[in-house]
Amino acid sequence: MPIVMIIYYILSICLIGMLIYNFIKEKESTTDMLLYLIVAIPFVLRVLRVK
Amino acid sequence: MYFQIMIVLLSMVIAYAVTKWKYPVEWSILSAAVVGGIIGSVLFSTPPIRELFRHLVEGTSTYMDIVLVFTTATIFMAIVKESGGVDYVIRATIKHFYNRRIIALLILMFIILVPGALTGAGSVSCLVVGAPVALALVYLGIPRVKVTAIIFILAGLSAAAPPVNIWAMITCAGTAIPYVGFELPLAIPILILSIFTVLFLGYKKEGDTTLEKALQDMPKVPEGMTIWKVVLPFLFFFGMIIVERIWPFSIPVMGLPLEFTIAAIIALVLSPTKIKIIQLSLDTVKRLLPLLATVIIVGILQQVMTVTGVRGLLSYTVITIPITLLFISLAFVLPISEGILTYGAAALFGIPLTWYFDSIGLHATVVIAGMSLLYPLGDGLPPTALIGRLSVMVSEYKGNYLNFLKQTWVPWLVITIVGILMIVYSSHLSFLVEWSK
Repeated sequence: MPIVMIIYYILSICLIGMLIYNFIKEKESTTDMLLYLIVAIPFVLRVLRVK
Repeated sequence: MYFQIMIVLLSMVIAYAVTKWKYPVEWSILSAAVVGGIIGSVLFSTPPIRELFRHLVEGTSTYMDIVLVFTTATIFMAIVKESGGVDYVIRATIKHFYNRRIIALLILMFIILVPGALTGAGSVSCLVVGAPVALALVYLGIPRVKVTAIIFILAGLSAAAPPVNIWAMITCAGTAIPYVGFELPLAIPILILSIFTVLFLGYKKEGDTTLEKALQDMPKVPEGMTIWKVVLPFLFFFGMIIVERIWPFSIPVMGLPLEFTIAAIIALVLSPTKIKIIQLSLDTVKRLLPLLATVIIVGILQQVMTVTGVRGLLSYTVITIPITLLFISLAFVLPISEGILTYGAAALFGIPLTWYFDSIGLHATVVIAGMSLLYPLGDGLPPTALIGRLSVMVSEYKGNYLNFLKQTWVPWLVITIVGILMIVYSSHLSFLVEWSK
């Protein structure tokens, strides 16, 4: 796997991490919690290599 | 078939309107997509019901790359701001060019244009540099209502400026046109329109402010900050883009997210103040959430519209409008749809319009660039008024929202005319695309 692609996987994992952290820390808005999950969907699928 | 698609479209419009009553725009778009998909599946088996969930999930991937660009670019700009770089440049501008008004205005104009141009979001321009630039403009003797108007128009234009133009990216992704050759067709009109706007609204000085008072009230710059520490990350960023273009077969294609990440690391290393990068990144993602969610959900909407035939119906409707009327209607359709759907406007109308204009011999890249000038105007219109509300907030304008919008009417009109003329004469402007490659 080319190095650039590996870096993009790492970037995706970092973004998923930030989304999940903010999801856990979000206490006030349920709608925001759901939005974090929706945004995370394509990145989780990419990292898991699900087509 | 026509009747079936109309029912799906109607259900989507109703779902959007009902949800908009109580929830933010991203939920309205999502409900329109889900309801449209369910109606299409249950009533007409388009798509088959067992395929619906797959389409909804698949739609989230449509603009995944744009989300990555958004995030990395905004973290980069947040580091530049946190290190004191933005305050340094604004303070230096006021200090050295307070009595050379045109130069001061032009530098402040560039400061607003850069974050939006790099991230593709005018809201980032407002959030990152809006407040200090607004303060500087007030100290240059410009009334607050005009300052708000300047911030709004420039932040909108910055979103359309290269290298990252989300409307163009969405349209390109939906029309299978490569996002290449947009630099000059976007940069030249945007620079001219920005200069016109800032001089038209800001040239006349009102009030009796002094340089000493302005410098006293401006944010302090951290010790050790120099011009090179501000400029170097940007030089690296643009350098990487240029090097890729000059030696396309020797340099690996890195893509904008990786280039922004490298620039962010350089800005972080050069920062004279210690930056808590993890907390800064988490805060940035939190602040970006509505934008990221909108882009992802617009992807779902686009997928559902395609699979149910709504997108085809809209394309067909566009094609049947007489061409002169179509050109004139762009002045209303694109900003108003942007005000309702934000980036979704590009997917809903931008894509079929581009197909149509391309089919009648206009140059697709210049057409997309021309339309890109019209979308950001809608960011001042309700119900979303994304950039408009942020401009009011950062410039601390307390007056009537409509009064602020009225101040923008001349630049608004000029931008509209330029955008439409670019579309009409796109074939004659195709040399700009060639020069960009």
